[in-house]
Order: sequence, then structure tokens, then C-alpha cells
Amino acid sequence: MIDVGWVSSVLAGAVAAGTVFLIASLGETYAERSGVLNLGMEGMMITGAAVSYIFTNALGHGAALLAVVLIGLVLGLSHAVFSVSLKLNQVVVGLAFTILGLGVSGLITAAEIRKRLILALNPETPERLVITQEAAKLPVIPIPYLKDIPVIGPVFFNHNILVYFAFTLSVVMWFILFKTRFGLSLRSCGENPSMADSLGVNVYRIRYMSMAICGILGSLSGAYLFIGYQPFWVEGMTAGRGFISLALVILATWSPLRAILGALLFGGVETLQFRLQVLGVAAQLPQFLLMLPYIVTIITLTMLSLESVRNRVGAPAALGIPYTRE
Amino acid sequence: MAIRLERRLEIPRRLSAAISAFFIVLAIIAASLIFELLSVSSYETLSKILYVFTTPATLLQAVLRGLPLGFAALGLCLAFKMNFWNIGADGQIYMGMMAATGIVLMHVYYELIPPPLVLPAMVFASFFAGGLYCAIPAFLKSRLGVNEILPTLMLNYVAILFVDFLIYGPWRDPKGFGFPLSVPFPEYARLDSFLGHTAYVGFPAAVAVAAVLYGLLQKTTVGFEMRVLGQNVEAAKYAGVRVGRTLLTGSLIAGGLAGVGGLVLVSGIIGRLRPRASPGYGYTAIIIAFLAGLNPWLALPASIFFGGLIVAGDVIQATLNLPFAAVQIFQATIFLMIILGEFFKRYRVRLVK
Repeated sequence: MIDVGWVSSVLAGAVAAGTVFLIASLGETYAERSGVLNLGMEGMMITGAAVSYIFTNALGHGAALLAVVLIGLVLGLSHAVFSVSLKLNQVVVGLAFTILGLGVSGLITAAEIRKRLILALNPETPERLVITQEAAKLPVIPIPYLKDIPVIGPVFFNHNILVYFAFTLSVVMWFILFKTRFGLSLRSCGENPSMADSLGVNVYRIRYMSMAICGILGSLSGAYLFIGYQPFWVEGMTAGRGFISLALVILATWSPLRAILGALLFGGVETLQFRLQVLGVAAQLPQFLLMLPYIVTIITLTMLSLESVRNRVGAPAALGIPYTRE
Repeated sequence: MAIRLERRLEIPRRLSAAISAFFIVLAIIAASLIFELLSVSSYETLSKILYVFTTPATLLQAVLRGLPLGFAALGLCLAFKMNFWNIGADGQIYMGMMAATGIVLMHVYYELIPPPLVLPAMVFASFFAGGLYCAIPAFLKSRLGVNEILPTLMLNYVAILFVDFLIYGPWRDPKGFGFPLSVPFPEYARLDSFLGHTAYVGFPAAVAVAAVLYGLLQKTTVGFEMRVLGQNVEAAKYAGVRVGRTLLTGSLIAGGLAGVGGLVLVSGIIGRLRPRASPGYGYTAIIIAFLAGLNPWLALPASIFFGGLIVAGDVIQATLNLPFAAVQIFQATIFLMIILGEFFKRYRVRLVK
């Protein structure tokens, strides 16, 4: 039952499930590092999933990904209008975006409306694609040679393009955040915005840019969830994954590289939960297993309350506080 | 020409009300625009909502469905006044439902409590379960300085999953054909067995709670300390407010009221415990608290309004074949417009040459 093949298939499942959290938390990391707490992640994710559902069936994967990026950009920037320019409470703005995302995604995927939207995008769409609850999954692209390495090959190198993109992006975003001038400016906006301002950093512009990135990646993570992971539409299918991504940012202490480890852990929990149920092991355990990410996050937050820990990881001190130029 | 923002020091009550009214109208227009954009008739949708509030039977239903929201929102008014950002009302509602059901099961399975005491015990248990659950993040905040926003949010999911565990496991009704449901509550454990309708008991209770909260906040020392704490922690400490104690007391009451909301949900509306019984009512309560401007008295009509939206959602689903999401669009636009209105209440926008 449990052998090398089983372990490697669980690990491959952890990578596939964890990518949802990874993409979203990378965006959230940039937003929070620049000082904006985006509680609207759940709404951005579900909107991305719904848009990818409709566009994939009408026009295919390419158009879907483009549409998802655009809608994410719009959502991210409009969040910034409320939270950065109008300086409104970020918790409230974020929750409003979450509820809006849930509403819009539910409405545009309702049978009648979805049909109208798909036919408006592409009048030639065959009936089958108009009524289906599913969509074509992104093709798996095995990486030549690398996929043949025992255990590691099937775990990491036998996925679709968004998985490779996410893992590469973590490294790139880590490099930009910690090794470039732009990254330094971005972090300084979250650390001490008035100091950053006096040194010539445009705090508003950096926060807008971070929110744009956060919106795009949030929406993209939803698209991955649907066309890359579980291509069957259920209303509210993100089921709190946006909020788990926020937890992941804390667990990874605002580092894009550590986010990979956290994503594998959370993805592993999700996969293991299904696998253990199939094996009939500990029928009562799945709920407690699923609680783990949340409890681990609360413990991490508690540990971060220690000054020394906070300084070592560089927690953004001005997180959630709107900046007003004096 | 440039736009300049000036911070208002004080805002006349009339202007504040006018701004709120203006932005609520704007919210309805924004929601209608979204509907029209998707070629859904906004006229029909709006007239269904109007129907709910103008028909006695559905209006009573709106009051009923607004009760769990109302209790949770009353608690949130207090929490937000203290600047305690409790996003966890949903989890506290679940804890309240769990405690209330626990009492019923203790009675049904082990006959530990005599029938007339079951309901009072349920009220007591649901209040403390919700309150203590809210006190955990409050304790972390006052003792260790942990920001409460994410812990309260995370605890929602822990509570939902814990109730899932109970109802799929030990609390499942043995005669329930394997469905994940608790035993149905007996007559004397149901709020609607008094006076014939839950709203007849629940609404006066909600009014009483609003009165007590208002009195607490405006007339007592504790209430004064809570308000000072919300405005400026440093000033509060300087003035001799025992920050930790005040925060714990306030969070106990705030979470407790959400717990009572959970009690109303299981004992007054559903009649048994089932998984995912609250579809995010704790979040809706946040919108209500804001719509009410954190004023307990205004939280009552606001919760009836949102209760009515839930009823309208059912009507729209049945007659127009639209999902519940149509109502969420209303909730979201109203929420966004209220916070936009906050901006205009806080700042005066001037055009300067």
C-alpha cells in the first residue's frame, strides 16, 4: 500500500496542490512587504477561477490566461485606489473585495449568464462547451531527461506550465526583493514609509505596483486552481484557499523562497487528507489535519510577537497602515 | 487646479446621514449596473427585494433571518469601538452553535439537565463558548502584542472544521440514516416553541441587548475605558485604563453575542446542528456593524435589512433562477459604498487653483 510509488505520488500531489497557495502568496508577499494587507485575496482568486472557466471554454487557454491577468490587474489596482489613495481601512476594503469576488464569480458562472457570456465571446462555441461544468485542463509538459530522475522526476518535473512558472517565479521574486534596488525600495515602504519618502522613494507608486502584482498573481492562482488543478466548476470552489495563502505568507515570514516550503507543506496536507481517507486510515483525522495550516499560522504569529524574531525575519512594521505624505 | 483633502474635525449628524443615504443609493445603482452588464433585469431583481420588505410574511422572515446577523453585529459594534478587529465572528457563531447543541445532547443522551433548564443553559453555554473563543486572540493581543486580524480569521476555519468533525463523527444522529446531522432539537430546546415564532422572542431580546450595550458604552466607566482604548492605546494607558482587562471583557461580550447568534441559528431557524450552518454570516455581520456606524441601535434595522436580502436571495433563486451570488453583489456594493462614504465623512474635498 504505502511504498515508494505511493510516497512519490503524494509528493507530486503536494506540488500540484501547493502551487495554488504558492502563486497567491507570492503576490501577497509583495503587497505586504510594501505595507498593504490584501484581505481581498480570496475574492481575487475566485474571480480568476471563474474567468478562466468561461474564457477557456469560449476561446481556449491562451485567451483565458490573458483575461485572467487583465482582470487581476484591474482588481489589484482598484484595491489600491481604496487602500492607498483614499487611505481607507485595509481590513474592510479587503473583505469587501472578497465578498464582491464571490458575488461576481457566482453570478457570471450561473448557467444562463455563462451561456450568454460564452456565446458573446465566441458565437461558434459548440453546445457541449457552453453547458459543461468542466474545462480542458492545461496540458502536462514533462521536462525531458529531468523527469526520468527517480522519485524527484515525477514529483517536480511532470506538471503543467503554471507549476514551473510558479517555482521559477519564487526565485525571481526573491532575487528582486532582496538583491535589487527596487526590492529595497519596496521593502522600505513597508518598513518605514516616511523615511522611504524622504529618501526619494515614491511610496504611492510602489504600493500601487505591488498591488497590481498581487492582483495579477491572486487571479492567476485561481485560474491555476481551475484549469491547472481541478477543472470542475463548483460555486465558491476556492473554499478559503485565498485566506490560507495569507497564512502561508506569515509562515514563510514574507520570503518568496520560504513560501515554496510552506506551499509544499500546505499542499501536502491537502493531498494527504484525500489519500488517507482512501486508505481508510483514521476516518476522524481529516478535519484535524486540515486545521493544521491555521493553527501553525497562529503559533507563528505568536512567535513573531517576540522582538528578536521579528527583527531577524524583517516583518513589515508599517503593514496595514495607510501612508499620508506630510 | 488641484484636489486638496482636508481632515474634518467634526461632522454634523445631518451631513453624516445624508452622505450615508447618498452612497447607499449609489450602491444600488452600482449593483444594477453590474446586473445590466450581464443582461439580467435589475428592475426585476430590485422589485423582488422591495417585495420582501413590503409583504408582512416575508418581512417577519427578514427579521428572523436578520437575528443571528444582528446579535453578531451588536458584538462587533463593541469590538470595533475598542479597535479590536474581530474578523472571527463566524467562528464564534460556530462555537455558539456547538455549545448549544452540546447542551441539547447532554440532555437527550444522558438526561443531565431537566427540560425547563435546557434553553437557559443553552443561552449561557453559547454565550461563553463564543466569548471564550474570541478571548483567545484578545489574550494574545493584550499579553504578547499579536495583531488580532489574522488569528481571528484563522480561528473561523478551525471552528468550522471542528464542528464538521463533531457532526460527521460523535454527534451524528444514530437514527439519521447516516446523514451528517445532529438529533433534531426537542420542543423545549427550540426558540420558536415560545409565542409561536422565533422573531417574537428574539427581536425583543436583541432590542434589550442593544439597550444594554448602548448604556454600557455611554454611561459606565468600563464603557468609557473601552472607547478610550479604541481611540488611543497610549492615552488609555496614561489615563490608567487596565488595557488587558478591558480588552478581555469587551472581547468576551463581543464573541459571546456572536455565540448567541449561533444559538438563534440552530435553535430558532434550523432546529438541529448541521455542517456549514453559517454561510459566512460572521462576515455579513461586519458589513452590518459598519453600515450602522458602530451604533448598537442602528445595527438592528441594518440587520433586518440584510436578513431581508437573504430572504430576497431565496425569492430571486426561485423565481429568476439566479444564484445566491446576486445578493452577494448587493452586499459587496453596499459595503464598498459605505466605506467610500466614510472617506467623505472624514475628509473635505476641495478644488484649489
